[in-house]
Amino acid sequence: MWGFYLKGLFESLPFFLKGLWMTVAVSGLSLVVGTIIGFIWGIIRVSRIRFLRTIIGAWVDVIRGTPFLVQIFIVFFILPELGIHLEAFPAAVIALTNLAACFICEIVAGGILAVPHGQKEAAKASGLSGFHQMTRVILPQAMRIILPPLVGQYVLLIKDSSVVSAIGVTDVIRAGWLTVQRIPEGLMVFGLVGILYFVICYPLIRVSNTLERRMTVAATRL
Amino acid sequence: MLKFFNFRVILDYMPLYMKCLWATIWLSGLSILGALIVGTIACAMRLSRSRSVTGIAGCYIESIRSTPLLAQIYFLYFGLPSLGIRISEEVTGVIALTLNSGAYMAEIIRAGILSIPQGQTEAGIATGLSYPMRMRYIVLPQAIGATIPPLLGQTIVLVKDSALLSLISIAELTRAGQIMTSERFMPAEAFLTTAVLYLLIYYVLKWLSDRWQKRLIFRERS
Amino acid sequence: MIKFSKVNKWFGDLHVLRDVDLHVSLGEVMVVCGPSGSGKSTLIRCINRLEEIQQGELVVDNMKVHDRTVNMTELRAEIGFVFQQFNLYPHMTALENVTLAPIKVRKMPKAEAEKLGRQILERVGLGNKADAHPAQLSGGQQQRVAIARGLCMRPKIMLFDEPTSALDPEMIKEVLDVMRDLAREGMTMIVVTHEMGFAKEVCHRIVFMDEGQIVEVSSPNDFFIQPRTDRAKMFLSKVLVH
Repeated sequence: MWGFYLKGLFESLPFFLKGLWMTVAVSGLSLVVGTIIGFIWGIIRVSRIRFLRTIIGAWVDVIRGTPFLVQIFIVFFILPELGIHLEAFPAAVIALTNLAACFICEIVAGGILAVPHGQKEAAKASGLSGFHQMTRVILPQAMRIILPPLVGQYVLLIKDSSVVSAIGVTDVIRAGWLTVQRIPEGLMVFGLVGILYFVICYPLIRVSNTLERRMTVAATRL
Repeated sequence: MLKFFNFRVILDYMPLYMKCLWATIWLSGLSILGALIVGTIACAMRLSRSRSVTGIAGCYIESIRSTPLLAQIYFLYFGLPSLGIRISEEVTGVIALTLNSGAYMAEIIRAGILSIPQGQTEAGIATGLSYPMRMRYIVLPQAIGATIPPLLGQTIVLVKDSALLSLISIAELTRAGQIMTSERFMPAEAFLTTAVLYLLIYYVLKWLSDRWQKRLIFRERS
Repeated sequence: MIKFSKVNKWFGDLHVLRDVDLHVSLGEVMVVCGPSGSGKSTLIRCINRLEEIQQGELVVDNMKVHDRTVNMTELRAEIGFVFQQFNLYPHMTALENVTLAPIKVRKMPKAEAEKLGRQILERVGLGNKADAHPAQLSGGQQQRVAIARGLCMRPKIMLFDEPTSALDPEMIKEVLDVMRDLAREGMTMIVVTHEMGFAKEVCHRIVFMDEGQIVEVSSPNDFFIQPRTDRAKMFLSKVLVH
């Protein structure tokens, strides 16, 4: 019986790999766009325009205070009521991109605030415009503080992407869910799913830990 | 569209929502307590001197951290029956949440213990206190105070994670939204109500965390 | 060149500048001294609007700094500011530190800016350190790079906010030497400092501040030999003892 199940699992491998590809596609797209938006929001979060700061702050707080599953359901089920009809894949990417942007926004804001205030003053005193102060002086220094938690956040988002299976996106976890209906060996099927996620996430976690260690060493050297 | 937001239907479903809100609260509460126990044990194992004991705990923590919670839930939900273990969905859900948060708790507790400055332990050694005594009177009392804010943070994460239990048919808050949507075709009313209730829990927990932080600062000053 | 008229500033409830009237001419070297908390740093930080004033008028090089609608970017390019904590950009070399503003603000071509940068670094005695990072330089060297950074913009005014207070004693002289040369070349300078030897040698006027007010303004000779006010006398007796 086990042999039969193992054989069935082996034959499903291409199906799982297709699911893995879907996971990579959804996560990858959301991470790239989410990072860009997250950086923009993060910079606005520390700017002096109180109105924008508060709006983005409130939005980020709401997103961080509600489950991602509920957010996906809202995007997938409620937007059609407003006239925007979305397929599962775009809805998933939109929801995950928004989630990514909100968390990355906070990381970026924290990094910028950690750069010593004197740096901004020196740049300001030489007549540099606000844009150049940020791009040439503050952001380059903030990046060192932002990078380790940013990579850590990427791992979290890749794991969160598994939730999009709930609206029918056939990622690696949904591949497992569909397979287990035919091959009722939950341990093997989801053991495989776990291994596939492990293969993607574990290296990234190690990278994040190394970055964190290197960053604290560099800071103490200064 | 939204101008037809039907508050009456929400009122009709309030009993269901309240029942499910309560389910979310006790499921999360139970899991957090379980996670504390599991986390403390795992942390103690990590700090042990036996390589195999540290290794087992390490494997547990790394596998949890590198795989999504949903995969872990499905692993137990589909896997346990194939081992002949028949338990209700609620118990499966609590076990999954407990094991998941337990791994993160272990790291939080470890960080709390390590945050006590080396000098304190040395002072304890210098005055002749044994290891258990130092733990009991010097390290742990301070570690507990430092651990509460991240613990509340993990509780917030756990409450959001509990939403995934709706996917294995547990009648909690998100499931209430799903039920109302499938019965009345009103996803806006259904999921926005769900979101608002989650935000309620979120802000209560945040308030508790802020009050504890203020108490800590007050204590440090005196 | 610089004119403070009845300037008042508060930090919340704290009245840090009280009815300040001061006039600085082109080519003048002025030293501002006084006990800590007297408002001397705040005074010069108002000149390039790192701090804003709430009352009174401040006109610098014919521009109304007190008027919030006036754009400060152009004026700041004409004023060099040297901070107590140097504030060099750690991720750039010395040369990149001094050429950033000329390239981005004065729109100088990179080659020309680098030539100027090396020249000015040479002038402060650090020609061979142009490609070093701040972490590789001593405190005194970093502060000299900070002065070079200000000079590369060819400013009309140089402001110094306690430039030697964060330095180890053996490095103070090299920075003061650079400042002395600048003064002799006719640069308009305002220096907040405790270095009385420097003040005696180089400046035209000394301003003594206490509790936000300008208490005494006189020539260095008069100030050190015959201070007119009691507060100045008390300050000097404490400072000059060692």
